[in-house]
Amino acid sequence: MNSYQVQIRRSSPGHSYVRSYHVTSAERMTVLDALFRIQAEQDSSLAFRCACRVGMCGTCAMSINRVPRLACKTRISALDSPVVTLAPLPNFPVIHDLVVSLEPFFEQWKRIRPALRGSPSDTLAIILPDPDISRKRDCITCGICYAACGVKASHADYLGPAAINRAFLRVHDPRDSARQQRLKILNDEWSGVWRCHTQFNCTALCPKKIDLTETIGRFKRTLLVS
Amino acid sequence: MIPAIVWCVQRITGALLVILLIAHFWVEHFVSENLRRGDLTYDAIRARIMNPAWQAIDIAFLLIALVHGLSGARNIVMDYSRIGRRGARFVTAILCAVGAVWAWWGVAAFANLK
Amino acid sequence: MKLLLRKYAGPFSGMLAHLIQRATGLLLLVYLFLHVRTIYALRGGPAAFDRAVAGFRSPLFKLLEIALLAVVILHALNGLRITLIDLGAKHAAQRRLFAWSLGAGALIFLAGAIPLFLSSVLGR
Repeated sequence: MNSYQVQIRRSSPGHSYVRSYHVTSAERMTVLDALFRIQAEQDSSLAFRCACRVGMCGTCAMSINRVPRLACKTRISALDSPVVTLAPLPNFPVIHDLVVSLEPFFEQWKRIRPALRGSPSDTLAIILPDPDISRKRDCITCGICYAACGVKASHADYLGPAAINRAFLRVHDPRDSARQQRLKILNDEWSGVWRCHTQFNCTALCPKKIDLTETIGRFKRTLLVS
Repeated sequence: MIPAIVWCVQRITGALLVILLIAHFWVEHFVSENLRRGDLTYDAIRARIMNPAWQAIDIAFLLIALVHGLSGARNIVMDYSRIGRRGARFVTAILCAVGAVWAWWGVAAFANLK
Repeated sequence: MKLLLRKYAGPFSGMLAHLIQRATGLLLLVYLFLHVRTIYALRGGPAAFDRAVAGFRSPLFKLLEIALLAVVILHALNGLRITLIDLGAKHAAQRRLFAWSLGAGALIFLAGAIPLFLSSVLGR
């Protein structure tokens, strides 16, 4: 049973401050558990997002000791520090306390036309599972890759790893008819795959262990030969 | 097409520069007794620099370095969306102009060799 | 970039390498400018050129030359590493590559810097 000091960067519109709380940890306590404790027992005004609590929805992403992670999947004891610093995800506009707006993320997401555009012929397609591509389906749109990307920190228009990864799935889907459209968006020198500088932050932090840099790299090579 | 080519050229020129630089370092520091001592004078490099083949190699070296370097500088600027797409085109034009002047300096150095 | 460094504590899989690449690249551009401007003095004939490069024998200058060698090696090896990634090297491989390139870089640096250093000291 350890005592932790949880420092939270809180804010309301126009006013940002840090508030500290003390939490006595229970066995296998996660950061999200700690937040529930604080909200229930110490400060009911604390705002944060969560939903599934088991790492499947991606809602509780936040900056934990200055690393973007899922709060429900981060054990307090694993942080190896008596002080836990919580802040909203970087690269996103803050709404309130630990709640950010994912608007910028989904703006880029929509740009690559995430929905499958059906092919004109109505033949049934049988798609064999491809282990190479399967893992890339696991994206839970948590926004961590976007938050960690060094390019996103200075470039509002860059597509970002998640959008490019989703585009990859569509482009490699034989039923999709918008391939050229998507490739054109990805090929944009200003905002497309060419802005990626292989920093690997996204790959290192993706909670679903998707190799995002590899996906982007594949597109670069594809666009080179096409 | 173009962004892919720019990206590819950056890698190719980079690889070429590694080879050219090793050769350049070798030629300028280890080839003659003077240069090994670190004595840089007109005479020390005269024999090599009078040869038009070497001049061509040096100019090619400079051009490759300029393409790689200025393209890299442009890449840095492109990472800041604040300048906007039009700003990026403007910066590209400026860098091309700078590159042209720079290249001229390099070529003009060989104008009056005795 | 600076903004992110304040809000981000790692992992720095490739981010530091990227920053080093940019910093060394800009330094090398500055160097190239000075270098081309100096060589331009050839145009003035032997006397003018020798005057322009006279200051290059000073010990400070030799140290700067050795520093330049370090910058070049950093940029070149890191660049080769990036090219390997672009050809398909994966995340785990690239971390090893970065470590190796630092090690190999140190060796190459010494191979170049020691003769340079000795020649400027012994050659006097």
